[in-house]
Amino acid sequence: MAPRVVVIGLASDFGCQVQMTNIEDHLLDVLGLIDLTYWQLASSGHLPAEYDVAIVEGAVTTEAHVEALRRVRETAGAVIAVGACAITGGIPAIASAGELADRYGCVYGEGGAEVACGRIAPMPVTAVIDVDYRVPGCPLDTDEFLRVLSRALQGLSGRIPEEPLCAACKTRENICFHDRGELCLGLVTRTGCGAKCVSLGRACTGCRGIAADANLDAAYALLASRGIPAEEFTRRLSLYNTLEEGCDR
Amino acid sequence: MFFRVMDKARIADLVRGLSTEYEVIGPVAKGERFTFSVIEDPADLRLDFDTTILPPKKFFFPPEERMMRFRVADNEVVDDEAFASPRVLFGLHPCDINALLLMDNVFLGEFEDPYYKAYRDATLLVGVSCSPRETCFCNAWDTDEVHWGFDIFLTDLGDRYFVSVRSVMGAELLDRHVETSPITAEDTAEFQAVVREFKRAFPAKLDTSQLPLLLDAKFDDPVWDELGERCLSCGACSMVCPTCYCFDVRDDLDPDQRSGERKRVWDSCQFSEFSAVAHGQTFRESRASRVKYRYYHKQWGYLSKFERVLCVGCGRCTHACLADISPREVVTALVEGSEAR
Ligand code: SF4
Ligand code: SF4
Ligand code: SF4
Ligand code: SF4
Repeated sequence: MAPRVVVIGLASDFGCQVQMTNIEDHLLDVLGLIDLTYWQLASSGHLPAEYDVAIVEGAVTTEAHVEALRRVRETAGAVIAVGACAITGGIPAIASAGELADRYGCVYGEGGAEVACGRIAPMPVTAVIDVDYRVPGCPLDTDEFLRVLSRALQGLSGRIPEEPLCAACKTRENICFHDRGELCLGLVTRTGCGAKCVSLGRACTGCRGIAADANLDAAYALLASRGIPAEEFTRRLSLYNTLEEGCDR
Repeated sequence: MFFRVMDKARIADLVRGLSTEYEVIGPVAKGERFTFSVIEDPADLRLDFDTTILPPKKFFFPPEERMMRFRVADNEVVDDEAFASPRVLFGLHPCDINALLLMDNVFLGEFEDPYYKAYRDATLLVGVSCSPRETCFCNAWDTDEVHWGFDIFLTDLGDRYFVSVRSVMGAELLDRHVETSPITAEDTAEFQAVVREFKRAFPAKLDTSQLPLLLDAKFDDPVWDELGERCLSCGACSMVCPTCYCFDVRDDLDPDQRSGERKRVWDSCQFSEFSAVAHGQTFRESRASRVKYRYYHKQWGYLSKFERVLCVGCGRCTHACLADISPREVVTALVEGSEAR
């Protein structure tokens, strides 16, 4: 029997799900191997009671999300978290810095707190349940997604690169942003995107999260010695990494 | 070896001529830096370059290389051919030629690597003289000179090149594609003057006295901890190094899961995963031990096997390292003691 797969979206802009539809070249190959029983973006049905693989996009921002995730974990044999929101809290997690209640008003106007009932401070999927596979990035990289999905279907381990981006950036022979006195977050960001942005001339914004191998202490120190104060580095990191450990100096 | 002189303006003839038979690769500008790239127009060739971002190793041992394709159903290898089309690599400095010779010890030694060999056999090398930048320290390892390992070597005499021809193939190509003349005593004297000037232009020579012995004696020196605190574990140093040859091997299935490919990608000993083995043990957990290992391998391990250090003093790692960790600093710390830095 083909594995039954569901795609679930929590708080996000559905960008990763849109990316999944962009895998035109290979979508049919993949669909031929799985029984896609529910895809929030592309179908109007309901989440079935049973499935084998759950692909979860988005950050956790309500109590209902927490409940839903616990059920997903009990039901699915394998859970794949996709995108920055699900893995680091991403952009939604910026709201978790400071007093949450104060923010409702700016978004919903007066009486905002009532509209926003059941909201909790945004956090990643990975803070609520254990996940078996991760596809980081904002949005996810389609090649990496296919590789990870393939590993999930084969029951292989969920390997994710642990080192910073600079090595991949060097293999693309980019001129380092820091050589021009500009801040690039690649020096602490998890690799695996092929240094896309940097190769297209834009400094890395850290969408793949902080690499497990990253040395944040050293990065803060060397940037300070190059005239980039800690607050500026923290501010730039906060786009995707507000909740990542050590990014708050 | 024999020698000729060639008018500098003739380089374009040579490149154009070679292009009829080979893919010609050489240094071209990329912003304020240089890269080895395919030469479409002889005018793009910049033999006055300083150091390329990546060394020529990328043409013999690409950053990502397919080793074979396989079928899942019967576990059969379907394609593991190593193929390389003929090409000429233009503009290698002495350090880069010496680096390839060090790579050969690894890839063409006891266990011959068919992929590297195919590329190496298909490639002719044209060296060119240089002048040291402040990060260069090839003179510390005697890799500022190169006596073999190239087909042609061009020494810049201002308006002309002093051409050293090392191989039969080099002689034939020169003969076929460009006008040169016999050298005179004056040319040789000028060549010697240029070489002397080159040697004088280096910053203070790095003291490497008793380095392997000191590496043994200072295994627990606090310098390693200091370096470990500063290192970002980014691996940039290994990527840009012409003598770093470590790779990881990965199998990826095609989307239809019926076949897949095995590839190798550049790896770095500065990553924690580099020393991870089955069931999750990692032999070099600490950053300090990883930085240390890089130097022990280059300045001790390789030396004990091949009687050369695994560094040619090109300074690429010095330039690439945001944490300002350089072989010059590390060697000085060991030789002179930590206080002297
Ligand atoms: S540009 Fe960014 S990713 Fe590239 S080497 Fe510099 S810091 Fe690293
Ligand atoms: S370069 Fe940085 S911001 Fe761009 S995709 Fe890669 S990790 Fe994300
Ligand atoms: S260790 Fe540094 S200086 Fe030595 S060969 Fe490698 S990149 Fe060049
Ligand atoms: S380039 Fe510098 S910071 Fe990066 S791994 Fe090498 S020594 Fe460490």
